[in-house]
Amino acid sequence: MTEVETGAGTPAVRVQDLWKAFGPSVAVAGIDLTLPAGKFIGLVGPNGAGKTTTLSMVTGLLRPDRGTVEVVGRDVWRDPVEVKSRIGVLPEGLRLFERLSGRELLAYTGRLRGLPGDEVDKRAAQLLDVLDLAGAQHKLVVDYSTGMRKKIGLAAALLHNPEVLFLDEPFEGVDPVSAQTIRGVLERYTRSGATVVFSSHVMELVESLCDWVAVIAAGRIRAQGTLADVRGDAPSLQQAFLELVGANGRDMASDLDWLGGAR
Amino acid sequence: MTTTTATLVRLKLSLLRNGLRGSKGRRAAYVTTLIVVLLVAALQLLGLIALRGNAHAATLSVILTAVLALGWAVMPLFFPSGDETLDPTRLVMLPLRPQPLVRGLLVASLVGIGPLFTLCLAVGAVISLAHGAAACVTAVLAVALALLTCVALARAVAAANIRLLTSRKGRDLAVLSGLVIAIGAQVVNFGARTLGSSGFGALDPAGDVLSWIPPASAIGAVDAVSHGAYAAGTARLALCAAALAALLHTWQRTLTRLMTSPDGSTLQAAEPTRTKRTSRGPRLLPAGRTGTVMERSLRYVWRDPKTKAAWVTSLAIGLIVPVFNALQGTGSIYFACFAAGMLGIQMYNQFGQDTSAFWMVAMTISSPRDAYVELRGRALALLTITLPYATLVTVVTTAMLGDWRALPEVLGLSFALLGAMLATGAWSSARFPYSIPQEGYKNVAPGQAGLAWISIFGGMVAAALLCAPVIAFTIWLHVSDESSATWLLLPLGTTYGAALTLAGLRLAAPRTATRLPEILTAVSKG
Repeated sequence: MTEVETGAGTPAVRVQDLWKAFGPSVAVAGIDLTLPAGKFIGLVGPNGAGKTTTLSMVTGLLRPDRGTVEVVGRDVWRDPVEVKSRIGVLPEGLRLFERLSGRELLAYTGRLRGLPGDEVDKRAAQLLDVLDLAGAQHKLVVDYSTGMRKKIGLAAALLHNPEVLFLDEPFEGVDPVSAQTIRGVLERYTRSGATVVFSSHVMELVESLCDWVAVIAAGRIRAQGTLADVRGDAPSLQQAFLELVGANGRDMASDLDWLGGAR
Repeated sequence: MTTTTATLVRLKLSLLRNGLRGSKGRRAAYVTTLIVVLLVAALQLLGLIALRGNAHAATLSVILTAVLALGWAVMPLFFPSGDETLDPTRLVMLPLRPQPLVRGLLVASLVGIGPLFTLCLAVGAVISLAHGAAACVTAVLAVALALLTCVALARAVAAANIRLLTSRKGRDLAVLSGLVIAIGAQVVNFGARTLGSSGFGALDPAGDVLSWIPPASAIGAVDAVSHGAYAAGTARLALCAAALAALLHTWQRTLTRLMTSPDGSTLQAAEPTRTKRTSRGPRLLPAGRTGTVMERSLRYVWRDPKTKAAWVTSLAIGLIVPVFNALQGTGSIYFACFAAGMLGIQMYNQFGQDTSAFWMVAMTISSPRDAYVELRGRALALLTITLPYATLVTVVTTAMLGDWRALPEVLGLSFALLGAMLATGAWSSARFPYSIPQEGYKNVAPGQAGLAWISIFGGMVAAALLCAPVIAFTIWLHVSDESSATWLLLPLGTTYGAALTLAGLRLAAPRTATRLPEILTAVSKG
């Protein structure tokens, strides 16, 4: 299952022997990962599996203890100039510049990325429109809802038209309408040949969106490959996942027998 | 005690206990506060008892009570998170009737350091005033009424403002409240000095008025009864009781309304979105990264409450120290350099001011050159405010002291100091970044106090050392009687400061570029 279908040239991401420990607890324990370019890739795992840590190290926001990370064939730590201009990131648990309005945030990010001002404003207006944020573009981001924050973060990550987009829990806490909008934008983006890597613990979502999946648990990769490969004989990705992380067969019928009983 | 009341009192005690559990530092802080408050309360009690029989005892007791009541009214606005039982929305899911709830919350509010302090003060006040049996009876009533009114006042004000307190604007306001306290301290200081010169007699008219205003009127009642003015005494006591009743009534009404209507977050989301365009203004800023960084930095000075508070403090202190010293005639023109020093502090911990949003910056820095432009942009944004301001303060101070000949010299020194602060600030931003928690008053995340201390204090010492050549030159000019040449310091100091800044930025840039993940980790705490 760890065999990669070659043919599309350089993989979007190649990770070798990646380690990270925070004090005594090892968050990422030797990850090897090869993600093909041009795919919609899901990184799934339970809470605390090391998804965020892995994505932070892959995008250069966190220094690994050991291991190499290559994005579009270039080393993230040795060649940041080439890598940073080619990737877009939406991290989880980090703030945005919340005291800017949505529009100002995009204008700021785009110009910081070195794009010409007029181009930034044009792209920002279109993104705000498509993501349904035009009505709130002059509101400060600090007053945005969770869904709006994810959408403005996505817009900021897309502004410079990256080759690979990394999204950490892009659908967490997002209402169905915003989720559908985000989905539409991402699907259109991958059709153009770009790669999306996103983490999630909602299996139904991953199953319906992704064509490539990597399962991570306790800091290690449990499986990676096409959706069909990872799912195997299991009826759904959810079942396959539970088996992979060893959480199947937990039965609690004998406990809580009072629940739903006579009141 | 009804069950609700008992439960709420136990809840308050548990919250107090749990607040202390876990963190040794917090427990130590609490115990220290407790001891200090108890000491102050005891001393105040003794002082008030000693005042017994003094002609101004009534005035002083009444005014102290009034000031304390004011404190009770204002406290919840500044410390909304100080007492979790203050937030009735936390109890909204429980099947409680308003009246027992209000009673229970009122009794629960009596638990704590604040009420204890108030009790000591009230007891001291009545002891200093009560003469005779009738007055003693009044005194007992007065203490109870005054204490309850204070607590009810705090509760009513908090409940009435809970919308504001739990909204973003309210939290922003709370961050700025430190300034209000600082300015209040200045006013008190000024008042105390005036008192020192004109004696307590000056306060008597104020005392007379306040003794009719609850809860100070309860204390006033004791004084009136002691002097045989029973009618006035009863009236004052009744006034306080009426105020208490009114407060409880208002509190209960707001509570009921709060607990039966949608909360602030829902209301905020339902608010119509503003269509007002943010004015972009003419683009005076340079194009590219420099202008972009400057624009964001300047916007944050105005919009981010923490940054704004830091700036306002720096601007105020930078002006107050030299100008007040000049006003009092003890000033030296060299105090004007203080403004430059205070403002230069804003260059420190640049990335900490970004909070974890620094990742957006980190993603766009891939070479020392990018880091250099980023830091330079921030320094330039700072200079657009500090340069004119430091100049203004220097000119104003000079004008007040009338020492125009020293102006170029002091300006030169100021600019050199500013340059040194920018240089060391840029370097320590890269080397010793630390988090600034966005909620509450703390400006340092737990565990990073040492880092903050090294960053700012070490930086200031380094800045002073860097300025040593200019200072030495100044002293040499004065000692060797070359005072006519001190104007040389203006161009010299300015050039030196500019050179220092550039060198500091050059040193800081590669360090920033290679330490991006470490900086991000350091500024993301809290």
